[in-house]
Amino acid sequence: MSPGYLAKRLALIVYTLFVVSLVVFAITQVLPADAAVMLLGENATPDALAAIRDKLGLDQPVWQQYARWLGGVVQGDFGVSLRTGQPVAPVMLEALSRSLLLALLSIGLMLMLAVPLGILAAIRRGRLADLMVSIVSYVGVSLPEFVTATMIVLLLADWLKLLPATGYVPLTENFWDGLAHLVLPMLTVSVILIAHVSRMVRSELVDVLHTDYVRAARLKGLSRRTVLFRHALPNALLPTITIVALDVGYLLGGIIVVEEIFALPGIGRHLIVAIQARDLPSIQAGALIMAATYSVVNFLADLAYAWIDKRIQYG
Amino acid sequence: MAELLRRLLRSPQGALGLAIVALILVIVTCGPWLAPYGPDTMAPRLRYRSPSAEFLLGTDQYGRDILSRLLYGARATVTLACLATGLGTMAGAVIGTTSAFLGGRADEAIMRTIDAIMSIPSLLFALLIVNLLGKSSFSAVMAIGIAFTPGMARVTRSVALAVRKQDYINAAIARGERGIYIVLREMLPNVIAPIVVEMTIRVAFSVMLFATLSFLGLGAQPPASEWGLMVAEARRFMHLSPWMILWPALAVALVAIGFNLLGDGLRDALNPRT
Amino acid sequence: MTVLDIKGYTLDYATPTGTVRALDSIDLAIERGEVLGLVGESGSGKTSLAWAIMRHLPANAREAGAISLAGQSMMDASESQIGAIRGRRIGMVFQDPSTSLNPTLTLGQQISEVLVRHHGLTRRQAWAEGEVMLGRVGLKQPAAMMQRYPHEASGGEKQRVVIATAFACQPECILFDEPTTALDVITARQILDLFADLQAETAVASLYISHDLALVSRVADHVAVLHRGRLVEQGTVDTVFDAPRDDYTRRLLAAVPRPERRLVTGAPSSDARPLVEVDKLSVHYGRTGLLAALAGRRTAQVAGNRDVSLAIQPGEILGIVGESGSGKSTLARALTGINRFDGAVRFDGRRIAGAGDMDRPYRRDVQIIFQHPDSSLNPRQRVREILSRPLTLYGGEERIEALLEQVRLPASFADRFPHQLSGGEKQRVAIARAFASRPRLVICDEITSSLDVSVQAAVIELLVDLQRRNGTAYLFITHDLNLVRQLAHRIAVMYRGQLVELISIDDLARSGPRHAYTRSLMDAVTPPREYAS
Repeated sequence: MSPGYLAKRLALIVYTLFVVSLVVFAITQVLPADAAVMLLGENATPDALAAIRDKLGLDQPVWQQYARWLGGVVQGDFGVSLRTGQPVAPVMLEALSRSLLLALLSIGLMLMLAVPLGILAAIRRGRLADLMVSIVSYVGVSLPEFVTATMIVLLLADWLKLLPATGYVPLTENFWDGLAHLVLPMLTVSVILIAHVSRMVRSELVDVLHTDYVRAARLKGLSRRTVLFRHALPNALLPTITIVALDVGYLLGGIIVVEEIFALPGIGRHLIVAIQARDLPSIQAGALIMAATYSVVNFLADLAYAWIDKRIQYG
Repeated sequence: MAELLRRLLRSPQGALGLAIVALILVIVTCGPWLAPYGPDTMAPRLRYRSPSAEFLLGTDQYGRDILSRLLYGARATVTLACLATGLGTMAGAVIGTTSAFLGGRADEAIMRTIDAIMSIPSLLFALLIVNLLGKSSFSAVMAIGIAFTPGMARVTRSVALAVRKQDYINAAIARGERGIYIVLREMLPNVIAPIVVEMTIRVAFSVMLFATLSFLGLGAQPPASEWGLMVAEARRFMHLSPWMILWPALAVALVAIGFNLLGDGLRDALNPRT
Repeated sequence: MTVLDIKGYTLDYATPTGTVRALDSIDLAIERGEVLGLVGESGSGKTSLAWAIMRHLPANAREAGAISLAGQSMMDASESQIGAIRGRRIGMVFQDPSTSLNPTLTLGQQISEVLVRHHGLTRRQAWAEGEVMLGRVGLKQPAAMMQRYPHEASGGEKQRVVIATAFACQPECILFDEPTTALDVITARQILDLFADLQAETAVASLYISHDLALVSRVADHVAVLHRGRLVEQGTVDTVFDAPRDDYTRRLLAAVPRPERRLVTGAPSSDARPLVEVDKLSVHYGRTGLLAALAGRRTAQVAGNRDVSLAIQPGEILGIVGESGSGKSTLARALTGINRFDGAVRFDGRRIAGAGDMDRPYRRDVQIIFQHPDSSLNPRQRVREILSRPLTLYGGEERIEALLEQVRLPASFADRFPHQLSGGEKQRVAIARAFASRPRLVICDEITSSLDVSVQAAVIELLVDLQRRNGTAYLFITHDLNLVRQLAHRIAVMYRGQLVELISIDDLARSGPRHAYTRSLMDAVTPPREYAS
């Protein structure tokens, strides 16, 4: 992979973040007819409205507001929360770390389950195992997170009373208890991911198993295991990197709902709270951070893909 | 049309999907007539009932019949989700086809920007737009429609490009056909089919998204009987009656499964080469 | 000693709509050191036979008869026995080296793994052995080639690796499934020579499958002709070619393009004004991407055509020959306005600078037919709609039925969709579409390359007939030099975007080619040996 390719990807990610910042800023600050009224409500006093206009610079020309905001963001300053009066950046970033923990655990679980399921369905194509995996994944992708969460909480917390239903305990405080509180959210987030990725893995592997080169490998007398693991899987799993990276976007959306349901203080929850409290700087920060996370993940995935796939040579 | 139905019924996904969606259509159109009670008819002494002969799916915290609420709510959930998907598809199709048609650097610039916008998760995008427009079903529809536009633009563009590369388009250019004719008579019939498939599958996603927005309190508002809203309200009373939360959740899932299956069935049925 | 013995072999596929017979009572035998050429067109079952021998059939296959390797029955063998036989005692060389090699493994890994598996060598020993094999198949720098990935090697190099892999374990029998079809002409000839050498050296029993009769006659000792699952003819090459007994074989032999059998007589008058004049035409590909442009870099542009100059007389058939990538299709697309070009084009005296100058009269007079019948007809339009379009655009009182009759298709085809027609039938519809406006020039861009030999012969006959009746000029593009020598008045040879030779057919016969490249092309496709039929 050449430095040219790397430079090109970096330029793209900068452009992406720029566009996202524009969109987020536009939706939250530019488009509202009267941002001050939207923030404080219809019954706010003229004094309070004037104060907030002054504080956030809402009277300035749009591009100046944007420049001011972006200038701060680039230096790591997202402003001060309208709700708590505290700087937004540290709070949001800490929340992000908690969400990332949940995300990573979920992805880990997903990979452990989805990949073997997909492989199983592909090699037993058309038979019972395939049908079962197919049904499970159809259902899985059709369940919104709030439905899954509800079912899981009903089953594991209310009926079987195995795990706590809501709440958060930092891992640093009490590792096992903290982990116990993360299990249900993790399961909820994973369901859709497992369903989607196992379907993709199956479909990729079925395609690869029908290629000429896999057939050639079989006809060279290589054992079934060699053909599957050495010839087929590397080719089938390579696109999976891209798919998982794309799913991170969906995962981030799902995390918003899951954190709300399970009362986890991650970035999703903070966003909902910010939206309900009309805390503009926090909304902007949360949205931008989420989108940035997604971009960075995809960027890394692209790099990983280019590094592994020898055919990508150009810069 | 009859031909299409026949082809659709050939595959298990198509047949099952068609059956479920047909059932949903019946419920959406005739729901109010089929419902045994009104959606807001309260019966305080009959609260938290389990399914019985009188209340087929049980009652909720105000003694309202769950089945009736579901039947009325189908309209909100399904129709609005379809509307949102339609809006997103049309807007996306225009952008995508234009980008494919322009080609070259303009196409690249448009697509990079679309990719950038797509790095905002759909739910987040919808949340921001709802925040802008105020909490209501209408703003939820707009939000989902706008959130879907970039994705549909991408799909439309890639389909349009694939069709553009075929030799029958080159044959049309070599015949000296006008651009309008090529786009409308040669390209469009071949582009529509994959778009319809994608759109059907997106409806499933749209239903889920719509219900999620209502669940978060940012879509339909009480006392509407939108399914996501019903689940949100029922959470508090889970220990009193699991049926209140179970039925609307299953309804959402069923609709999503139905449209997913139908989309897969359509993919095979609309393929001209089989 | 008989290595491969097939007796009374029958293969059926059980489908939901009934049983389909793929092979019917096949009797074949290959001795040690012998090459048996199996000839058949698409749908003949030749590939199914290869899979049957290798025991790689789908679950719905139903067999009868016997296949044995050196006396051991293949059909009774267990799965692990088959696994031990494949690669070690029977090898296979596949058609397309770019798809039959794993893109994520090095070439060295793919050849050494057979040696590890079957000869029990260690990795290092197998690697060394593999290197030796690569040298034997004529690859320069075998050590470097072992480290390369498939996409880093050319088609010819990859096929040599595939052949080396097949020969590596010194099998008793090797199946060759159209090993040169996916290669360009000159490389194909080299591979053919390599095969002949190795086969003579190792005395391996070879089953050489091909659709190309001419090619088979060059390498095989015995020939078997397969038609719709049945062996209609079998014997030594001389017997089959000099005195074929079966009708189908005779038709197949007659369909092979032979330069000395001219299909077109006469020559167009050279004093009339040329119909088309092309003067220093150039086409460039390659576009600088957006980011690169912003960074101030310009991508080097690839020349599709460079300074091509030629002229076509009215009623003349000008053949253009070249390998893939030589720019012949690019020229066709430039003349129809699909590609932009630099340089001058004159049609009937009028200057044509680009697609903008190509008005209705030009379009009526200049038509094009494409290579792939599957993609040149809109799959969602019926034949009727496809054919009525040129009539609407250019006028003409022809009825659709008359157009179909002109290309020898029944009138009932008007209501069919393209997927309901065979490849040859689709091409006929494309031809009908082109002739609907009674053009003065028809550009044929490799129109028979994806068709079977017998279908190709029928289509060529049709073209000749239409030319005779209408006096149309053709720009006939193909990679088949023998075909073009049958058909054209003059031949142009293209190499890497440039026109390297332009010669009349008489001059070619009399004094031979002038350019070295033409000579190497002609050597590579020496016409099939003279035979009595």
